[in-house]
Amino acid sequence: MTPRRQLAAVVVAAALLGVVVAPSVYGAASDTGDTVAVVEIEGPVTAGLADDVESELAEIRANGSVGAVVLKLDTPGGAPAASERMYKAVQRTSRAMPVIASVQATSASGGYYAMAPADDIYVLPTSVVGSIGLNAPAPAPRAPVAGPSGPDKVGTNEIEGWARQQTLADTFVNAMMAERGEEFDLSRAEVAEADVYLGTEAVENGYADEIGSLTEAVHEAATRAELGDYQVDTRETGPEGRFPILVRTDTQVVAVYATDPGYGEVEPMGLAYVHLGSVPHVDTVAQIAGSDLPAMETGANTTGTAASSAETVAGPNALGSLDGGERA
Amino acid sequence: MNRLPALAVAFAVTFATVVSGAAVAGLVGGDGAAPAPEIENAHYTDTDLVNDRTPGEATIEMSSDAPTQTVVFDPGVDPSADQPAGPLALLGFGGPEVTARNVRPLANVLLENGHEVRVYTPESSRPAPTAGPSTGGESSPLGEELADADAFVTFRSDYSAAALDDIESFRESGGHLIVATEPSAGFDAPGAAALDGRLGTTSGPGYVYNMAENDLNYQRVYAEPTGDSSLTEGVDRAMFETVTPVGTAAAAGDVIRPIEGSQLSTTRAPTNAPVLARDDGVVVVGDSDFLVPENTQRVDNDVLIGNLADFLVENDRAGSHTAATQVGAPTPTTPAPGETNATQGPSNESTPIPEPQNATSA
Repeated sequence: MTPRRQLAAVVVAAALLGVVVAPSVYGAASDTGDTVAVVEIEGPVTAGLADDVESELAEIRANGSVGAVVLKLDTPGGAPAASERMYKAVQRTSRAMPVIASVQATSASGGYYAMAPADDIYVLPTSVVGSIGLNAPAPAPRAPVAGPSGPDKVGTNEIEGWARQQTLADTFVNAMMAERGEEFDLSRAEVAEADVYLGTEAVENGYADEIGSLTEAVHEAATRAELGDYQVDTRETGPEGRFPILVRTDTQVVAVYATDPGYGEVEPMGLAYVHLGSVPHVDTVAQIAGSDLPAMETGANTTGTAASSAETVAGPNALGSLDGGERA
Repeated sequence: MNRLPALAVAFAVTFATVVSGAAVAGLVGGDGAAPAPEIENAHYTDTDLVNDRTPGEATIEMSSDAPTQTVVFDPGVDPSADQPAGPLALLGFGGPEVTARNVRPLANVLLENGHEVRVYTPESSRPAPTAGPSTGGESSPLGEELADADAFVTFRSDYSAAALDDIESFRESGGHLIVATEPSAGFDAPGAAALDGRLGTTSGPGYVYNMAENDLNYQRVYAEPTGDSSLTEGVDRAMFETVTPVGTAAAAGDVIRPIEGSQLSTTRAPTNAPVLARDDGVVVVGDSDFLVPENTQRVDNDVLIGNLADFLVENDRAGSHTAATQVGAPTPTTPAPGETNATQGPSNESTPIPEPQNATSA
């Protein structure tokens, strides 16, 4: 046998042996599933947050090393479409592996929407969950505007506006009834009242399943996935920069994308799946963010209460100086 | 024999390449190309999900053949609110609660039937609300307006004591009134109670809502007549938008009550308290939006508004209208409180109706 043939024979033998062994190696690498991924869903629900949550959950589903997912939530909700996108992503993930939601301070409205497909919802005793409904200003008639190509291009008919809003609200409520209708101890009409509940009450009326911390949620997820020794991989989400502050006016919620916003950085949300109780009123923000507040002059962060700084009571026009305003 | 190391290296490299490739594929690739079958969400495709957005139509008609009557509207215009719109208006601040659109449907049907409509828009600063009795004998600007009017529609409640005297006198002299209030009035200065006290009307706290059966929003509630009356003739069901319970001193003053399933915001308990009530010449309704154009097109609101127009012109006020066409009569003096009725006497019937300085015609 010539040296060249000897070499070829050795290579072929090695390749054949490798092919025989490869499936085992592949399986070992892909099926370990010894990781519990903790996906953070924190802050206002926006398209940027939904982008991250979708991509993280898609990667988790594709990554065989992850055996279970825990959603770590602390959000008052936000944009309807972003809420729906996260709902769909969580729903798809829960079909593939155990998914446990762990609520920190709040998971309301759009946040509740996102976590509803989880197998179980863990809450702390004082977590706030619920607010299943739409926040929106009343459709208001507008004086006609000449120029647009159709009557609904600018403005709308008031009744059509009401119908659209009610459909948007029903979409949310129906989805929650489909996901957790069997757990809810409330009728559909009662759910649609959009109330929020503390964790202790939520486990009684079916808005949550267990009282427990994030650690306990992780352990439950690992147990459901039958993981022995497991590791935790935390996935931060949310866009860097352009992280909005939500504030509410008397009629609607607006997202503010800067601490010293210009007009282009104030975005009326209009229709929103948001829990108003978690969103400060613009007057409150103005009160604690007044430009002549001593703490502000030194550049300190002002997340105190309005009462502690009520000496500077700015009017609504103070919206233009949200220096260091409280983040919703 | 010196080829053995080379062969061993070749074996090791080939084997390692194949196996490590599989390992990397398993770690990184995993089941990344796993199919993502569509998840059926029937709750998104339910054919009943989309609400009917048809605005509807309205036909507002009067049946009364009463001669020309003068109806004064007080939309509650606050002169001090006449500020240029700032950027915050874009965010929903500001703007009057009652606009011209609120009064148009009712005013239009009156005008179409030959009646006179005036809109009271005070140009001076608004008098401070007070519940006390009038101390002077001077008539209020509103009183001057009402002196030669037959009916009065108001969306406001914080009147001065003098104006309250004039309103009370107007009622006692047979003038018909419609008082439209709102749940939000409960958050204003306590002037509303003074008007209620003069007219014998009441308005409850909170608003009525219905989660089960409503007109596209839980605060757009349906209400139905409790019996036969001229106000509700032809009205099977009306719709009120953010309405507060109302009542009158009359034993059976209720006219329209919310349908079954309605609840009160302050108690979260079922309610059937009236939302429109009548005590002789006074109709009180807990909503000022049921007669905006879009809402006249809902259920039988158009019929109800026509009936309210009839109620306004079918008053017991001594007629000064025919007199208005007569020329040469003396100009009436300003009526003092309690004397409004006297100004409608025969001597004044020939008085042309002066155009008040602080009123505009709708």
